[in-house]
Amino acid sequence: MSDPRNDVLGVGLLGEGLHHPGEPPAGIRRVPTGVDGLTTEHLIINMGPQHPSTHGVLRMLIEVDGEEVIAAEASVGYLHRGIEKLAEHRRYNAIGTLMDRGDYVSGIHGETALALAAERLGEIEVPRKAQWIRVLLAELNRIASHLVWYGTFGLDMGGMGQFLYAMRDREALLDILEAITGQRMMFNYVRPGGVIADLPAGIAEKIRVFTDTFDAYLDEHDALLGGNEIVHDRVKGIGVIDREKALAFGLTGANLRAAGVDFDVRRARPYDAYAEMDFEVPLGTTGDAWDRYQVRMGEMRQANRIIRQCIDGMPEGDHTAKVSRVLRLPEGEVYASVESSRGETGIHLVSDGGDTPYRMHYRAPSLFALQALEDVLPGHLIADVVMIIGSTDIMLGETDR
Amino acid sequence: MQPRADDIRTALAGGVPDAEVAETTLGVVARVPLGMVLDALRALQAAGFESLVDLDGTDTGELIELTYRVRSYAHGAEAYVKTTIAYDGELLSAWEVYPAVLMPERETAELLGLTLAEHPNPKRLLTTDGVEPLLRKSVAVRTREEVRFS
Repeated sequence: MSDPRNDVLGVGLLGEGLHHPGEPPAGIRRVPTGVDGLTTEHLIINMGPQHPSTHGVLRMLIEVDGEEVIAAEASVGYLHRGIEKLAEHRRYNAIGTLMDRGDYVSGIHGETALALAAERLGEIEVPRKAQWIRVLLAELNRIASHLVWYGTFGLDMGGMGQFLYAMRDREALLDILEAITGQRMMFNYVRPGGVIADLPAGIAEKIRVFTDTFDAYLDEHDALLGGNEIVHDRVKGIGVIDREKALAFGLTGANLRAAGVDFDVRRARPYDAYAEMDFEVPLGTTGDAWDRYQVRMGEMRQANRIIRQCIDGMPEGDHTAKVSRVLRLPEGEVYASVESSRGETGIHLVSDGGDTPYRMHYRAPSLFALQALEDVLPGHLIADVVMIIGSTDIMLGETDR
Repeated sequence: MQPRADDIRTALAGGVPDAEVAETTLGVVARVPLGMVLDALRALQAAGFESLVDLDGTDTGELIELTYRVRSYAHGAEAYVKTTIAYDGELLSAWEVYPAVLMPERETAELLGLTLAEHPNPKRLLTTDGVEPLLRKSVAVRTREEVRFS
């Protein structure tokens, strides 16, 4: 650092300073003369990793000129547990527990991605009922995850009420998920070949109580935030990730669809029983934080619609295929992906013919959203930073893996 | 609709004539020499593969195999580009073609022990300085250290 005073905030760790794609390292840029000839300089704010508005252990280093963000850099890795490495030493049935701890708010999707990859490589036929159960749980989990996003997104704006209502509904979902899987978050329920256990007796009625009430609750949620003029003023027009930028940074999921790109893995490459489901894919237009809000609210409504179809049409049959407890997959590699709550969760699975993966790569959609943020945040006010981060619904558990 | 090998061969014919294109369990894979990766990615981008959706590496025991996954939303198509690089080799960043590789390249480089060249921010992403490249096969998950009491 050219000026030792700049190291007060520990920015020496940054080497040459903050920078973002398309620009050379910025460093601490001095503005030689301000009003009345006063010398001023940019400030680097260290936001997180322990911060209520970074949604986990994200550390954002933000260079500001007064209230305006000049550059932003995400520093991650605080939750790195080596999931990909650990998976190389576990049998296929035991990797689900690792996947649960990636996107830990939406564990079913990670488990399903792994199971799909193993099934494709092993050419395992999954019973129809197991596919329907997976879809049911995926959508229950999607709503539970989106409710966490919804509640905390409001918290980022200083609201408290919506968080409590969101947790009320999520609690009902976690009760259902617990009744089915035995766990509230770390499910370990989806296995190559199907699911570990059949649905418990009486669960359809319990789910029906939820689905019958949730649409009305969702209207209330939407009125509370989406119908609030202050929220409109705070959210509309900020954090624009347009189509071009979304594609350039590899965004998927609601963040991509908010920019108007009509791509949903459930529809583009249907897996499990999604080809049999009737649902719409909500889209945005401009890709700003408001569009992302609307897309996720729409997704909750569609998820509830799919859940209703699942309990109405749940087929009879086995909940799993006959799969060896010690599954050995043939030599080769596959890529399987699912539409998780945060975008496209993918598994690149390489097998050498053994009972553990030779290599398992876990595509985390939040990682791609995070790198787009480094490009999007500059030019915004510091107060908008938490709103924009919140609107992308990133999950540091899967980013760090 | 998935592309056929011939589609990818045609897309790469001008810029990367040496590419070996085949349909595999993964999908349509174009294997190219390390020095031609950027040319291959540029050619695929020009052919309509507008987004890179993943990058990862595998330690084969002899070298590192990199897999780039690109997608065309307009055509609903995907393709893979594979290349190999020596241990501790230098990987030329593809961020100017696909900015989506910015963080995946950092992760791949640190976890497999590669050096990034012409990357705007080649710092480690997930681990701290001094940590071994964890995804190398030579790095053990567990190590034993006897604890003695005196």
